[in-house]
Amino acid sequence: MNIELLHQPESAIARVSLDSGEELVAQAGAMIAMSGSINASTTLRKGKGGGVMGGLKRMVAGESLFLSVFRSPTDGNTIWLAPKLIGDLLIYEMKGQDLIVQATSYLACSSEVNLDVGFQGFKSLFSGESLFWLTFSGQGLALLASFGGIYEIDVDGEYIVDTGHIVAFERSLNFSIAKASASLIGSFLGGEGFVCRFQGKGKVFCQTHNPGAFGSTVGSKLPPR
Amino acid sequence: MSNKIPYRVEHSPAYASLVLDVPANATVMVEASAMAAMDTCMKMKSKMQGGLMKGVGRMLGGESLFINEFTAEGKKGELYISPGVPGDVQHYYVTQECNLMVQSSAFVACTPGVEIDTKFQGFKGFFSGESLFLLKARGDGDFWFSSYGAIIEIPIAGDYIVDTGYIVAFEDTLEYSVENIGGLSFKGLKAGIFGGEGFVCRFSGAGRLWIQSHTIAPLINFLNPFRPTKSD
Repeated sequence: MNIELLHQPESAIARVSLDSGEELVAQAGAMIAMSGSINASTTLRKGKGGGVMGGLKRMVAGESLFLSVFRSPTDGNTIWLAPKLIGDLLIYEMKGQDLIVQATSYLACSSEVNLDVGFQGFKSLFSGESLFWLTFSGQGLALLASFGGIYEIDVDGEYIVDTGHIVAFERSLNFSIAKASASLIGSFLGGEGFVCRFQGKGKVFCQTHNPGAFGSTVGSKLPPR
Repeated sequence: MSNKIPYRVEHSPAYASLVLDVPANATVMVEASAMAAMDTCMKMKSKMQGGLMKGVGRMLGGESLFINEFTAEGKKGELYISPGVPGDVQHYYVTQECNLMVQSSAFVACTPGVEIDTKFQGFKGFFSGESLFLLKARGDGDFWFSSYGAIIEIPIAGDYIVDTGYIVAFEDTLEYSVENIGGLSFKGLKAGIFGGEGFVCRFSGAGRLWIQSHTIAPLINFLNPFRPTKSD
């Protein structure tokens, strides 16, 4: 499997080359185009705790747990994928370490990567937020999407990131969730200003823009539903 | 009568703007409201619906194509054209041998030697951008089309599948058929998400295809939950 990124950062699109027998698992609806011989199938990935109802609740918040699996029967097939909103892409190579990914940032991964919906560490703390998380483990390539550009923070010690700006982070980091003080961003994010305080050594991938902030800025000016 | 018009595309691929250097007394046809700036010698004439261009401008389920004519009177003039959504602009030279099929919203400009027909594909997904209204550009002349996001050119030899919403244009040497691929459909899973109908276009044969990196429908779907709710 080979992934090539084009037109970064603002209109990023990925060209994935698949050889015989290789499988790509992708977020529902992420496929733009592909070779005619690739087989596609659809699966529903449920969270460990929430079950189907949890899944439905999450879908209302703009996220689906529906995955497409693309299998290449022959060598030299291609498939094109892009994030739903304008933004950048990142290729992350899994080498046995765990990666926690914000669900809307997940675009695709090779089928060797284990993908678990949900992440115990955040569960109760995030009940107020429409974010949920995926845990990646194993080996292989993962393709992550951002809203806006992606930047990487090498944490060595302590660092604070707004949860709306987190794309993914390495599990080697310890973290704690705190509500940002209302005076800081509370009103700006409609009272949902959670920040994540990372500790230890590892990488955090951030996006330059917060989809929730963009959504409430534009959405609040649209006619009511 | 092939009068190639010098052009350049600036700020591509994210914010492409088309700049035409229209020779003296030459005319170009431009998507209505796409003109951004121009020399004073450029004279605009609004084309009425269904005028010169056969079938164009007929309302097709909300899709229509209004075209303005710009003529450089007396001396050459510069014309800046900006498509309605940010993205890329691509040029294609239409010949008698090879016609171009274009997604209706992708039309930007052409020279008068190009004739445009509408071709309705007869299906439409709800709110999902899955409708496929195609224009057929025939004749002889320059043609420019635009996208939302970047444009990718795919040379096809064999069999290729494209989500209908991402088709920008293709050469009509390609065979195409719209189909529903079960493996891409989320209907059976009662997902209730827009754009998961699995409508794709299958291309076969040899020719060039242009796709766009994004469509506008996911942005609309993303913003929809953020709208205020009616308090009644």
